[in-house]
Amino acid sequence: MTFNILFAASDIYLGNTIWYLITFAILMLLVKHYAWGPVSEMMEKRRQKVIEDLDSAADARKKAEILANEREAALKNSRQEATKILSDAKENAQKTSTEIVTAANTEAVSIRKKAEAEAKVAKSKALEDARQEVANISVAIAEKVIAKNLSAEDQKDLVDQFIKGLND
Amino acid sequence: MEKPLVFELFGLKFDLVGIVGSTLMALAVLFICIWLSRKVEMKPNKKQNVLEYLLDFTNGIVKDNVSDEAAQKHLSLYAFVLFMFIWFMNQLGLFLEVKVGENMLIKSPTADPVTTMSFAMMTLLLSFTFGVQRFGAGGYLKNYSAPVGFLLPVNIIEEFTNFLTLSLRLYGNIYAGEVLLTLIGNNLAPSLGIPTLILAAPLAMIWQGFSVFIGSIQAYVFVTLSMVYIGKKVTKE
Repeated sequence: MTFNILFAASDIYLGNTIWYLITFAILMLLVKHYAWGPVSEMMEKRRQKVIEDLDSAADARKKAEILANEREAALKNSRQEATKILSDAKENAQKTSTEIVTAANTEAVSIRKKAEAEAKVAKSKALEDARQEVANISVAIAEKVIAKNLSAEDQKDLVDQFIKGLND
Repeated sequence: MEKPLVFELFGLKFDLVGIVGSTLMALAVLFICIWLSRKVEMKPNKKQNVLEYLLDFTNGIVKDNVSDEAAQKHLSLYAFVLFMFIWFMNQLGLFLEVKVGENMLIKSPTADPVTTMSFAMMTLLLSFTFGVQRFGAGGYLKNYSAPVGFLLPVNIIEEFTNFLTLSLRLYGNIYAGEVLLTLIGNNLAPSLGIPTLILAAPLAMIWQGFSVFIGSIQAYVFVTLSMVYIGKKVTKE
C-alpha cells in the first residue's frame, strides 16, 4: 500500500500538495500579520531599548565617576588652599610683628640719638654761653680792677669768687 | 489498513484526510497565534512570553544553521510557522481519529508521505530560491561541482536523498506511532475482553505520551534539517 502511494503516479493525490502549499502560504501571511510581525517588531524594539539603556547606564556611570573625581579633586584643592591660607596668615602675622618690632626699635634708637644730640647741643651751647659770660665778666672785672687798684690779695679773691660763682 | 477518502477535482486527486486535518490545524495554529499575540507590549505579558519563547526557539534553530544575515530574517517566519504547523499536525492523530464507515476522516496529516513530501518539497524549492538569490543562477549551478568537480553527481544525488530523508523520516515516525496506537486500541484492547481492555488503557496512554514527545522531536528535526539544507545553499564552501 505504502509502496503503491510512493511509486504509482496515478495514486498520488497531487491536489493535496497544492492544498498544503496554499494553506501554508495563507497561514504564513496571517501569522505574519497577526503574531509574528508585531511580536518580532516588539522583540527588536526591546532589544534596541535594552542596548540603549545599557549605553545610557554606562554613560551615567562614567559621568558620575568623572563628577566624583572632580569633587574629590576640588576637596583636595580646597584643603590645600585652606592650609596655604593658614600658613600665609601665620607668615604674614610673623612678618608684621617683626616689622612692628623692628620699626619700634628703630624709632627708639632714633629718638635716643636725637635726644643725645639735643643734649650735646644744649651742653655745648651752655658751655659757649658760660665761656661768653666768663669773658664778659672777665672784662667787667678787668674794668673794675682798672677802676679800683686792687691788691694781689683782692685779685685772687675776686678770681676765686668768680670761679666759685661759675661753679654754682 | 484504512481506505483513504480520495476524490477528484479539476483532474487532480485530493485526499480528504490530509485536507481536513491540515486545514483544521492551520486554523488552530492561526487562532493560537492570534490569541497569544492579542496584546503586544514592551513589557511582555504571560501570553506574549509564550509566543516569544517559541519565536526565540525557532529563531535559535535558524541562527544556528543559517549564517547569512539577510536570509535569517525571512527564514525566521518560515521556521516558526513550519514548526507550529508540523507540531500540531503531528499531535492531531494522537487524540482525534475520526472514522466514517471504512473511511478515515481525521488523523495526523503527517502520517501520510504525500503531506511530508509536500513540506519537504517546499523546503527544497525554498533552498533553491535562496541559493539562486545569493549566488545567481550560474553561481548556484557551479556550487554543485564544489569543492571539487567529481563530486557533481554526489551533490545532485544529495538533493534527492535530502528530500526523501527529510520527508520519510517525519512520515515514518508519525505513521508508526499511529499504527501502534491503532493496534493497541483496535486489536489489543478487544481481543480477550475485559483483562486486555484494562491492560490496553495504560499502554495507550504511555504510547500517546511518547508520541507527543516523538511528534515534538520530529517537528524540531524537520525544521532544523530544513534550515541546514537552506543554510548549506547560502554559504560558500
